[in-house]
Amino acid sequence: MKAKRNPNIKLSVDLLLEICSLMMQSGANTKRVVDTINRFAEALHLESHALISHKSIIMTLLDKETHYTYTVVTQIPAYHANFWIVSEISISSWKALDRNWDYDEIKSRVEQIKNTNTYPFILILGAVSLADAGFANLFGGDYKNMLIAFIATLGGMLSVKLANSFHINAYIRTYFAAFVASAIAGLGVIFNYGLHPEIALATSVLFLVPGLALVNSFNDFLNNHILNGMVRFINGFLLVLSIGLGIISTMLLFNLNTL
Amino acid sequence: MEIIYTGILENAFWSGTAALGFGILFNIPKRLIPTVFILGFIAGFTKFYSLQNQYSIVVATFFASLLVGFLSIPFAKRVRKPIVVFSIPAIIPMIPGYFAYKTILGIRNFTLTNTLDTQQQNMLNHIFSNGFMTIFILFAITVGVSAPMLILGKDMTKKLPD
Repeated sequence: MKAKRNPNIKLSVDLLLEICSLMMQSGANTKRVVDTINRFAEALHLESHALISHKSIIMTLLDKETHYTYTVVTQIPAYHANFWIVSEISISSWKALDRNWDYDEIKSRVEQIKNTNTYPFILILGAVSLADAGFANLFGGDYKNMLIAFIATLGGMLSVKLANSFHINAYIRTYFAAFVASAIAGLGVIFNYGLHPEIALATSVLFLVPGLALVNSFNDFLNNHILNGMVRFINGFLLVLSIGLGIISTMLLFNLNTL
Repeated sequence: MEIIYTGILENAFWSGTAALGFGILFNIPKRLIPTVFILGFIAGFTKFYSLQNQYSIVVATFFASLLVGFLSIPFAKRVRKPIVVFSIPAIIPMIPGYFAYKTILGIRNFTLTNTLDTQQQNMLNHIFSNGFMTIFILFAITVGVSAPMLILGKDMTKKLPD
């Protein structure tokens, strides 16, 4: 006898995959993604089994009544940290479970979360530049060095923006931004501006360090998602390598040997 | 003595600012802005206070992240948001980016040089000390910030939005 086909299971698997891929790209660790998906699946009276890797997800949904299963593979787009999405999806997964949300409610909530706007670019620019000036202070620079780090980060962030509009490779983008930022800070070294201009040079690129990828990598190790953790770690390492190459280019260009 | 504390407070203030800057880059919800700044400030204060008391940077970072991890629980109850959303930006300023690319610069010096063996051995020292420092600081941060959740377990944190 043929099992009765649940009309919702195909739509549900698409929705759950979308949630899964949204959370991965927004910077959640793998355990959180798995837990969240399980809660949504439970709310829909389904059972989910997912293989989540860095670039793709394979998910099987099982209808507990009819024992009908559905499996779909999807690709995860480029990563871009967005904690608003992580936060709101996690919260709504609990709400879905507590209040027994059905497919339509979850779907409309996810659409709503997806379309919220981010902070204006000019605010991000100022905040990240100020953060980098803060790093210059933490490493013992004075206020002149912090000013150099601030300006260098502005240049670096604008280069990231410029590179993004050309859709170039992430490692080349990071290399380019690190080169621009360290070249601006390198001028500070040449003109010997401030107490420790070499600190401004060293900290001017710290905004590019993939801190989230590195923290998530170790978080995945702790939760036994070793493969995903490894991918994130190598990814972070290659970005740091690009940053290092950017600084090395500046040092060769200006003939500096301060680090 | 007072001069030292002023220095630490200044560093802590800039830690908080750096945490907030990265929080905004990561698009945290608006009402978490003060939380992230406060946690970043506390993390910076703890780290630099421990460094002042001759703890190694790995241990100092571990203390700071552990404190952030424990303080996150009452904060999560207040703001009703998942813990990672504000604990990760708060610990981002402690990420060993500086050590990480010092390692890369060490590798460059090692591979591009053709000087004597003893100098190359010094460079190896440089690569290994910075490289292991990077890995252990990262480990200290991650274990510190997630230890409270791991120790207290699901029962204690069930009431929180995970």
